Amino acid sequence: MTLDFSPVLESWRFLLGGLGLTLLLAASTVVCSLVLGGTVGLARCYGPAWLRAPLVFYIDSMRAVPVLVVLVWTYFALPIVTGAVLPPFWAALAALSAHIGAYVAEIVRAGVSSIRPGQTRAALALGMSRAQAVRDVVLPQAIVRMLPAFGSIISIAIKDTAIATVIAVPEYMNRSQTLAGESFHPIEVFLTAMAVYFIILFPVTRAVDMIYVRLAHLGRS
Amino acid sequence: MRFDWSVVWANAGALAGGTELTVLLAAVTMALAIPGGILLALMRLSGSRLLAGTSAGFTELFRNLPLILVIYAAYYILPITVGVAFSPFATGLIALCLNVSAYNGETFRAGIASIRRGQSEAALALGMSRWQAMREVVLPQAVQRVLPVLASTWVSLFKDTSLVSVIAVGELAYTAMRIRSQTFRVLELLTAMAAIYWALGYPQAKLVDWMNRRFGVSE
Repeated sequence: MTLDFSPVLESWRFLLGGLGLTLLLAASTVVCSLVLGGTVGLARCYGPAWLRAPLVFYIDSMRAVPVLVVLVWTYFALPIVTGAVLPPFWAALAALSAHIGAYVAEIVRAGVSSIRPGQTRAALALGMSRAQAVRDVVLPQAIVRMLPAFGSIISIAIKDTAIATVIAVPEYMNRSQTLAGESFHPIEVFLTAMAVYFIILFPVTRAVDMIYVRLAHLGRS
Repeated sequence: MRFDWSVVWANAGALAGGTELTVLLAAVTMALAIPGGILLALMRLSGSRLLAGTSAGFTELFRNLPLILVIYAAYYILPITVGVAFSPFATGLIALCLNVSAYNGETFRAGIASIRRGQSEAALALGMSRWQAMREVVLPQAVQRVLPVLASTWVSLFKDTSLVSVIAVGELAYTAMRIRSQTFRVLELLTAMAAIYWALGYPQAKLVDWMNRRFGVSE
């Protein structure tokens, strides 16, 4: 068996466009899920009591349902309920952010609750308001502890964008499938895809490990 | 817009069959990926450069690839390179095993490494062999730390089995989407699919939380 990568090389523009969309989708997903998950996580820890049950329900439901299901439901079923049709990219962004946001919320909760209660009590005893105690004492320490987990959120987001191919977002995975079908060289196309994803993801995971080693001591209290 | 939920009940048998295959696929994958992970961890800790390097390379590769890509690649590459036509189920199983073994390998390695050196040194000082020290001192403690992580890997795996629907393995996601395209009852079928995954996954996620509280390591 001989490998012939010329169909891949000839279509490099097509693939590069897909890669751009993969990175754009991943970056937007990370931003949106950090905002969503940060809000949900903080609301769960410090928000009113009645809000806690629905937030926990949202978080645990997202942890229970596959991202593929959220993605397919958002794209195919949501328009039937709401009447608003989302283009594939926006449906993917909404679904991935909703799913990953739940994990971010869990990270935020774990980070906040890992700060010993004595810290908050000491801040309150010093006359700080509750908001000040959270902002100036708890969060600066908690965020350092959350950083490595946020780093792995980046690599999860990049990997999950590949699933958006099932709703035909023309990202890298989807373009690879198209090219595999058209060129009749699926092996070369998928080997290239494996190399491309690995080259993007490996430095991310490595950087996360390094940041973790660098920052671990800052999180001690 | 009128919804017709009877389509879900009319196809309950097929959905139950799909659910069964989902559970089976997850169970078989885990049953193979635990020994796979132990093997990878032992190779990593063996002290042999070659074995440790192979294990590290395997682990890094499959932890850094989207699972859906591994599934597609297995589907296209396996039959041509091996020369055997695998069933979609077997292809999906292989792809899932590669992915989960890599994660399990890291879990076991971290679990073993988390037991302080003093423990095995003390065991050796008491005259135990290296193997005895591993089996009777390190592993029993490591298992407790590994269990909650394995449980959460299981929950991820259970959800990730839905991805093999892209190569037409007749598990829950594939079955629901097939009935959807036959009956055009999109919302009903997709909601039923989500509900079944939710009903199965929710207690599992809660169980993992409990295990983390029960067995988790706290500073």
